[in-house]
Amino acid sequence: MVAPPLKARRLGRLTLELRQNLPAWKQAAFLTICLVFGIAVSVAILAAAGIAPATLFDEMIVETLGNADSLRAVLVQATPLILVGLGAGLAFRVGFWNLGIEGQMIWGGIGATAVVIYGIGPESLRLVCMGIAAGLGGLTWVLLAAWLKLSFRVNEIIATLLLNYVAAYFLFHLLYGAWQDPTTAFPQSVQYRSFERLPEIGFGVSSGLAIALAAVAVAFWLVQLSRAGFYMRFVSANPGMARVVGVPVAAVSIGAIAASGALAGLAGFVNVASQEGRLTQSFFDGYVFAGVLVAFLSRNDPIIAAVVGFLLAVLFVTGQTLQVFYQIPFTMVQLIQAIIVIAVASSEFLIRHRMRWTR
Amino acid sequence: MTIALTLTGIRKSFDGFLALDDAAFSVGGGEVHALLGENGAGKSSLMNVAAGLYAPDSGEIAIDGRPVVLAGPADARRHGVGMVHQHFKLVKPFTVAENILLANPRPGYRRGMAATREAIARQAETLGFAIEPDRRVADLSIAEQQQVEIVKVLVGGVRILILDEPTAVLTDAEADRLLETVRRLAETGVAVVLVTHKLYEVKRHADAVTVMRGGRTVATADPRTASTAELTELTVGQTTPLPARASFDHGGTRLNVGALTCARADGQVTLADLSFFVRSGEIYGVAGVSGNGQAELAEALVGIRPPLAGEIWVEGAGDLAKAAPTARRDAAVAAIPADRFSHALAGSLSIAENFAVGEVHCGRYGGWPLIDRNAMRRATAAAVAAFDVQGVRSLRQKAALLSGGNAQKLVIAREFSREPAVVVAHSPSRGLDARACGAVHQRLLAARDAGAAVVVISEDLDEILTLSDRIAVMSRGRIVAEFDRPADRQAIGRAMVDHG
Repeated sequence: MVAPPLKARRLGRLTLELRQNLPAWKQAAFLTICLVFGIAVSVAILAAAGIAPATLFDEMIVETLGNADSLRAVLVQATPLILVGLGAGLAFRVGFWNLGIEGQMIWGGIGATAVVIYGIGPESLRLVCMGIAAGLGGLTWVLLAAWLKLSFRVNEIIATLLLNYVAAYFLFHLLYGAWQDPTTAFPQSVQYRSFERLPEIGFGVSSGLAIALAAVAVAFWLVQLSRAGFYMRFVSANPGMARVVGVPVAAVSIGAIAASGALAGLAGFVNVASQEGRLTQSFFDGYVFAGVLVAFLSRNDPIIAAVVGFLLAVLFVTGQTLQVFYQIPFTMVQLIQAIIVIAVASSEFLIRHRMRWTR
Repeated sequence: MTIALTLTGIRKSFDGFLALDDAAFSVGGGEVHALLGENGAGKSSLMNVAAGLYAPDSGEIAIDGRPVVLAGPADARRHGVGMVHQHFKLVKPFTVAENILLANPRPGYRRGMAATREAIARQAETLGFAIEPDRRVADLSIAEQQQVEIVKVLVGGVRILILDEPTAVLTDAEADRLLETVRRLAETGVAVVLVTHKLYEVKRHADAVTVMRGGRTVATADPRTASTAELTELTVGQTTPLPARASFDHGGTRLNVGALTCARADGQVTLADLSFFVRSGEIYGVAGVSGNGQAELAEALVGIRPPLAGEIWVEGAGDLAKAAPTARRDAAVAAIPADRFSHALAGSLSIAENFAVGEVHCGRYGGWPLIDRNAMRRATAAAVAAFDVQGVRSLRQKAALLSGGNAQKLVIAREFSREPAVVVAHSPSRGLDARACGAVHQRLLAARDAGAAVVVISEDLDEILTLSDRIAVMSRGRIVAEFDRPADRQAIGRAMVDHG
């Protein structure tokens, strides 16, 4: 037997141990420390790119939140972010990795536009019909992936992700074909009429935000207060055990997955019916990542998802300002996003493990 | 006899909970030294310190008289200390030789494999194991996997071998064979530590015994001179008498299982045309060598695995063979699965949630729009007190933090919260210490006395003999013999082996 080298003995070593439990305030403290660290790194990077921290503070807080126009832009951006974050979180709660948010948004947009093009329902209820069609569109698209998983054990990560492309190409097929705007000949649908666009609810804020906040309330009730939410915890914690103790695992899972798709469909509806006022080629771009991000940062909690969606929108809008006025590339904004995510993820690691230096 | 391993003044805490408090232990070469204690006494923790898995908060480890600091299991292995854990650390899709090479790396895969094969053959011959190096670990039985673990450790040149509850997963015959092997190993000069909570193993197979209680080592004794009563007193602190039996007074048939047939996905038949009945107020024990369909029978009764054919008839509810688990719960079928944390509890959820989930669907804790968490907490608090679930600091505490015995008590509290008509218990006391085991048995007997039909499926023959009014022996997916109480242990043992 060879004795270990003496040096190793003197230096000691870092040991990792699993923590059994940690009080909530300590968890919050770890999260705060990591977030502060992440923000500090972000600020340092931006400072290196030529934006002084004072300017940054000015742009982010004073200009973005203090300026009515910017604040409106933030709220417009936040609306779909909150919806897709809620949707992703619901699916994640039952262990279904829904990466098909974009495809579901596309079908939401197609559903809403179909109602417009075929003039379904009276004008006074047209928006309601569009919303329902959008929800059903997203729901159908996600259930396709759920069916593939349940019947053929197709991994839903692959199925949902690839179905995004199917949906996108079908959308292009419509926009370059049957639904192309005849007046401009651009690859987009006709302009919605005023009663087909989401009205403002004061301060220039679209009623889409009201839809998102209502969805937050419903999701909160579903997850925290209802019996289905109670069951969802067991489905994600231990599906094998849940079945034995009488939890209707299949029904709860399919319900949550369907709700996830419907929320993504609604996000598509809000985007086409408030921002552009028509079906475009890009109203869904980048929302898979955003949805996963919001769900992860909020730990699938609806209320926190709303807050995170709002903060992410602040980051986007500030990023756009910096891009225009300081010639900072938009990738910088994505870099900061990534740093914040890593910071939060590492707080998770510190909450679960104890690190000690032993000699 | 030289002292091979000495631990002195070992202290170790986990988040404020003191698992080891001034524990001391020593074992010499050629000696089989038992470490005896209840679950949670700190046996595994102490041995994890010796094997380099835990770094102690304070205390000293000495090997061959020289103090050492172990930088991890690999370092401990270099010092000649190896441990076979209760839950095997094997890569299931790998072959035996690959697993052993992984744990004992050698340069060059091809050359390493050849050398490993040779080493396996040498060790297997010394120990009398029939190990095929090219079989996949996933295809091996539990006993064979254990042999692989032992060979894996010995191939690394270990002279101090720690076996953590090695017989807990084995049948009587397998356990005897293992303990004989252990004796042969000791004769070659290896120091063997036998972690166990079974007294008769200590009496029969150990040269010395150290008793642990509450994280402390309370005594070291010679098992040949110490009496069973003394040792029990040392481990438990106080002894609990076996529950007295009420007279046998059963009612009509409550559960009838007819022509039950199950098969695995690959088509192998696990239950073949199996039939039995259980009357109200009766405990029906199902004995057998592990792997003869007991797990599948339990799963079919509980509703985890739907049978291909056959009926599971319950009085008042009809045939439940293909019914959903909710239908079984409505028929008051209580399920106590073998693997607590995979089929009975959600470890990451709170104690209150784990208790309440069984009765959520029938509306006891509010309707579908609003669940009543206060009612859940109240009911859980009452049940935790009534069923003596200990170690509950808060009802919001994660269920995974409960020790094995208390976790089982929580499962029973949930399953018995409504008076059960039928109880299906699979290895209900597996891994529990004497006191927790007694408490679990008492609950099962109480359910029987209240008129329930109880099925106990267990590989522990003592458990079957203590509890059952009628005993069935399972072999190759069938019931091959039935015995009335009082049953002859030898006859049951023969039935288990003859058909197996």
